[in-house]
Amino acid sequence: MTAYVVQRLLLMLVTLFAIITLTFFLMHAVPGGPFTSEKMLQPEIQAALNAKYHLDDPLWLQYLNYLRGVLSLDLGPSFKYAGMSVNEIIAEGLPVTMKTGALALLCVVALGVPLGIVAALNRNRWPDTLVMVIATIGVAVPSYVIATVALYVFALRLGWVPTFGLDDWRGYFLPVFALSGFWISFIARLARSSLLETLQQDYMMTAKAKGLKRGTVLFKHGLRNSLIPVVTVLGPVVANLLTGSFVIEQIFALPGIGRHFVLSITNRDYTAIMGITIFYAAVLMVMIFIVDMLYLVLDPRIKYRADAK
Amino acid sequence: MTTSHMSPPLLSVSNLSTSFFTSRGEVKAVRGVSFELNAGEILGIVGESGSGKSITCMSLMGLLRSSGRVIEGSARFEGRDLITLDEDELSELRGNDISMIFQDPMTSLNPTLTVGEQVIETILRHRKVSRAEARARAIELFELVRIPSAAKRLKSYPHEFSGGMRQRVMIAIALACDPKLLIADEPTTALDVTIQRQILALLKELQGRLGMAVILITHDLGVIAETADRVLVMYGGMVMEEGPVRELFARPSHPYTRGLLASIPDLRDDTHHRLTPIPGSPPDMLRPPKGCPFAPRCPHAMAQCNAALPPLYHAGEGRRARCWLHHPEAPRVAGITAELVPA
Repeated sequence: MTAYVVQRLLLMLVTLFAIITLTFFLMHAVPGGPFTSEKMLQPEIQAALNAKYHLDDPLWLQYLNYLRGVLSLDLGPSFKYAGMSVNEIIAEGLPVTMKTGALALLCVVALGVPLGIVAALNRNRWPDTLVMVIATIGVAVPSYVIATVALYVFALRLGWVPTFGLDDWRGYFLPVFALSGFWISFIARLARSSLLETLQQDYMMTAKAKGLKRGTVLFKHGLRNSLIPVVTVLGPVVANLLTGSFVIEQIFALPGIGRHFVLSITNRDYTAIMGITIFYAAVLMVMIFIVDMLYLVLDPRIKYRADAK
Repeated sequence: MTTSHMSPPLLSVSNLSTSFFTSRGEVKAVRGVSFELNAGEILGIVGESGSGKSITCMSLMGLLRSSGRVIEGSARFEGRDLITLDEDELSELRGNDISMIFQDPMTSLNPTLTVGEQVIETILRHRKVSRAEARARAIELFELVRIPSAAKRLKSYPHEFSGGMRQRVMIAIALACDPKLLIADEPTTALDVTIQRQILALLKELQGRLGMAVILITHDLGVIAETADRVLVMYGGMVMEEGPVRELFARPSHPYTRGLLASIPDLRDDTHHRLTPIPGSPPDMLRPPKGCPFAPRCPHAMAQCNAALPPLYHAGEGRRARCWLHHPEAPRVAGITAELVPA
């Protein structure tokens, strides 16, 4: 087991290295650079900038230098925001993103799973139909549409919540709603189908035949088994929510890191692209690792062994 | 059959009918089944898939899937009609006075709970005992069904057991609260032949020791022959024949029973007879035939058989047969005794 964990952690480092390498060379393969713009800079200034940021070094040297920086957890200076390092950009945006993301995650778990259970237990009756219609809309309608409509209705028309920013606690409502809407729907649908499948299992009949109370049959025997696929999906969902969303942060003018990811690309902010990619990849891998470990708790049939290759 | 005729039967099922209401219509799975079961008796119910044998027992337990409903009849168990009990009352009985084991031990145990927990929770549900006492009882039960190193194996999960051992766990769960009636639905069908024998022997032995009544549902006449006291032959949702096991095997009174017996291979017979299958297939229960459900496949079918449902003819010690051949004016057919008289 320990050997397996060590193996997994090493594999994560290898994956991260591959991601760094691929992103680095792909990024440099795209024409243009951080200091290309419609307004041509004077050649001297261009040269000075390139020299300052070592952009005139051969690519392999830039790559090695970058790797050295990453190893010492220094993601380098931003090319676009003078005087700011990528570490600082992430540190600044992360709390905002994490806060909205964590609230959204809470909504996903606290609403998605129970809604799915209610739907499954009332299969083909009105609560099921209601939940499924809402969940289908939630999955089908993009978050920016939900965000815009919600903004118009609740902020503009009704004035219940501010239109942007998080200064007021009420400011969290709409971004969290827009962020979690899709995943609540997705998880509700998944939990429903998974529970319905579990309810058909022979051991559920055994549990009833033993005379167990309805609640025990459902929660002790049904729910745990049906939550395994839900947990599988929740890992990437956590990563997705905690790393923010460009669109949502843009619409509600939230100073998170989600928008930096997209802006850094249009800006060709090399170090920011690299840094945020590495950060995203790391969060995702850690979440998947946690999910795999959770399987051990949920399903005793699963045992991990390190490959002896 | 030494069990008293004085005391009322443990279970008395009368005119039980169960249907499933599907999008294609009403599937009449069980049509007017009646039988009695005495305390301590083993009743075998035999029939092919779809004959209604499992559904009959699921109806008694209140374990029908949501589209199924008992539409008429009663099932008196110790004076109470199981059919009219509500879910709470039924759940008090299930696993306690009446318990059940199922066909596939590989899927009938919850894969995410230890086998010990699955026994203990049953005891805790029905008995006012502490967890430690329930655990001690679970060890006792594991020893009873001969699971080696019982105390240690309580902590195992189902996937760590073989099929035969899992069925022993299922039996331990079923016996946890000393049931008066054990319903075993194809308990050996999913097991290897050698394991089948062990499980049947175990069931029979425990039945003798604990004195409970058993309903053994199977499509395997061999299993019935070895285990049961009395047999109920079901076809098309109805009882076709009933009788003590020896007599019924020696002198089947229904062409269907005779067909079933003829389709069993006889290993002592070295004359290389071909097995005799019953031609045709079971009736469509969406539109059950007006007459005898077996008539289309019956070698002795007469015009009368398709026209009207035969009554159950009975005579002597608990023998009944639903066949027009037992009508006094029917032609005599060798092998199917016509000495019975109408009810």
